[in-house]
Amino acid sequence: MPMLNQTPDPKAIRNDSDPSLRSGFQKARNLFSTDHKIIGRQYFFLSLAAVLVGAWLSLLMRIHLVWPKAIILFLGEIKPENYLAQLTMHGTLMVFFVLSTVPQAGFGTFFLPLQLGARNMAFPRLAAVGFWTALTSFLVLMAAFFVPGGAPGAGWTQYPPLSALASAGPGQGLGTDLWLVSIGLFCLSSLMSAAGFVATTVSHRAPGMTWMRMPLTCWSWFVTSILILLAFGILLAAVVLLMLDRHAGTSFFLPGGLLISGRAIAHSGGSPLLWQHLFWFFGHPEVYIAVLPAMGVTSHLLSVFARKPVFGYKAMVGATLAIGALGFMVWGHHMFVSGMNPYAGFAFSTLTTAIAVPSAIKTFNWVATLYGGRIRYATPLLFSAGFVSLFITGGLTGPILAQPALDTYLHDTYFVVAHFHLIMAMAGLFAIFSATHFWFPRMFGRMMNERLGRLHFWITLFGAYAIFVPMHLLGIAGHPRRYSDLSGVQYVAAMAPLQKFITLAAIVTIAGQLIFLANLFWSMRRGPAAETNPWECGTLEWTPASYATKEGPGEWRPQVNHGPYEYNVPGAENDFIMQDAPAS
Amino acid sequence: MPIISDRVEIERKPKLGGGGPGKIPHRRGFGGGDDGDRGRPEDFRSRNQRMRRYRIGMALCLVSVTAVFVALTFLYVFRLGKGRYDEDAHRWVTDWITLKLPYLLLWTNSLVLLLSSATLELARRTMEKKEEFAAMGIVPPRMRRDLPWLGITLLLGFGFLAGQVVVWNTLRHQGVYLVSNPSRSYFYLLTGTHAVHLAGGLLALLYAAGGRFLALRFESQRIAVEVTSWYWHYLAFLWFGIFALVHFARG
Repeated sequence: MPMLNQTPDPKAIRNDSDPSLRSGFQKARNLFSTDHKIIGRQYFFLSLAAVLVGAWLSLLMRIHLVWPKAIILFLGEIKPENYLAQLTMHGTLMVFFVLSTVPQAGFGTFFLPLQLGARNMAFPRLAAVGFWTALTSFLVLMAAFFVPGGAPGAGWTQYPPLSALASAGPGQGLGTDLWLVSIGLFCLSSLMSAAGFVATTVSHRAPGMTWMRMPLTCWSWFVTSILILLAFGILLAAVVLLMLDRHAGTSFFLPGGLLISGRAIAHSGGSPLLWQHLFWFFGHPEVYIAVLPAMGVTSHLLSVFARKPVFGYKAMVGATLAIGALGFMVWGHHMFVSGMNPYAGFAFSTLTTAIAVPSAIKTFNWVATLYGGRIRYATPLLFSAGFVSLFITGGLTGPILAQPALDTYLHDTYFVVAHFHLIMAMAGLFAIFSATHFWFPRMFGRMMNERLGRLHFWITLFGAYAIFVPMHLLGIAGHPRRYSDLSGVQYVAAMAPLQKFITLAAIVTIAGQLIFLANLFWSMRRGPAAETNPWECGTLEWTPASYATKEGPGEWRPQVNHGPYEYNVPGAENDFIMQDAPAS
Repeated sequence: MPIISDRVEIERKPKLGGGGPGKIPHRRGFGGGDDGDRGRPEDFRSRNQRMRRYRIGMALCLVSVTAVFVALTFLYVFRLGKGRYDEDAHRWVTDWITLKLPYLLLWTNSLVLLLSSATLELARRTMEKKEEFAAMGIVPPRMRRDLPWLGITLLLGFGFLAGQVVVWNTLRHQGVYLVSNPSRSYFYLLTGTHAVHLAGGLLALLYAAGGRFLALRFESQRIAVEVTSWYWHYLAFLWFGIFALVHFARG
């Protein structure tokens, strides 16, 4: 079949194929659009804003750890409570507004309907309301920086009693209230968006798009949405309870006999452990909410750029489902040192180790997909391969931390920081970068610069390892996390050179991200116009007809006859077959 | 405007895979406004498609609601069992004080809620019958024997909420405050969360009942009633779950 590989007008793609949308008035109307492509891009820019703030905070923290007395421009010297506030906000922004927003709500809203052959999400208004709620939530969170007392300092996990008592610290008053309101709104936003995702996947697949013909990205968005539906409701309930403890005088999480500045609190009988159970019952699935879409993108891209079908498609689907199911049974491994029945610890430990099985299946399949492929070394492939590398490196420390005996020693050290930053943050970030490079032509109608992309990749890859591998060593040596300044502690002082190295690596790596930003914004305006299907990918979002769809009416109704990853099929004219190509 | 009967499609399952978004032609007199529906006739696929996606959406909503109430139930049971065995006194020591429930009020409220569930079901069935007419483009005739079931449901729903407020007030006058004991906190928490959810259902019913003023299509009205009835029945079921919990596990 001759491939229709034209070069559409990039401006038309950005304005969703309608030249009339270029006027100022129409642009304003576009802002509140219910079109999934616009909402997807809005989420993308929301996450971009969040990641800039989050990265800036991490930079401040790294500088403070090495030069505690440094005077920062406009901020002055960083006090311990400022450090804790930065730590909290960095975690909150990165986990909620970056890692669980852009791979799921951002790329998902944009590409789920397109990949399924639908014209829009099942509930377009709900999707739009979801975005505006997320934006409100982000603004409320940012407001916490500017209120008296500043941002909260109890960490992104907000353990009570610290988070439950306004008198417990500078950021524990209004700052924590804003944090709780923000996260409550974020829960609502995620629930709305996830309901739309599941309904779209169940009911909006094009004719012929059977479950086993869905791209793996769609599978992971689907499973992630189910996780969101089950997990975020729990967090919302927990946030409401904490609010009641703070303002209505209840004692859900507050034990009796606590003294704050020498004065006893009025609460009694509550249990701080209860919050930990509720939070981690949400919090562990949240890890998979962040990483499953990243895995889906990686599976998709490795196949495209190796020009081979995904190795073990069914096993990939099964592993995604297994990770989703197991993810709900392992929350206790965050609480090994919180006081736990050893039998419960054993069960959590066993189940946690069991997650290594589906993860290993996925890793094996990724490597096997690459093996023997005609690999095209484009930037998206590099970042996807980087994801696999970081996922393995970060994943190997998982079974170590899953052993209660080892975790007792390593808990709250930099070992844990290194583990979750590698497997969740860095791996997730690499998947986001690869997805951005891969889908940029479809989202903005232009190509990103390959040379800058590669430069950015190598800096980030070496940077990620340079920052986080030494952190394992710090952790093994017993360096605790979350402390603003340990320069007076003798055994920690011996680790100062390593800390300094990490900070220098962090500065270089974060500076390297400017290359990405420059590439992104330059390509958005000035990049070369993209062809309809620049990567020669077989899924439906690249069909010429899909470019013509708009919100509401549209003629696009593909008939799907092929699987998503039919590359190098013997006897085929091209080395790939579009999913909607006529059946042979 | 072409005649409506051209656009009525025999409902059938698509042969392969799922369907696309179900679009219904926009018609004057039946109001407008829908999720991204621009009302072009060629978009018409099947009425059932649209109903289907709203049903799926509601089922997903119920999943989340269940998660919240299961979590709260766990918390309740966990808090109830918290305490220690006093070796010297040979007895279980706990700070949980059994709450004396106003059973008469609670049973009255339960009855009201159950009735509202029944009337909503009747409203739903009436609309289902009328839909046949709507599909043919005929304004549904007023059936003589039909009572305004939706209005009655609304009244009963507000009645239940008012009854819950009476329950809370009664308890308050007896000195049973949110903060006085965990048993109180959890009672208010469970009933309050349920009431908030029910208020959401009431809003949806108001939206459906005010269809005429909102220029809502009959089709949309019917969908709103249909999915809200699922929600409503489920909340009635949850109410009895909560009632059973605070009765049988009162400590």
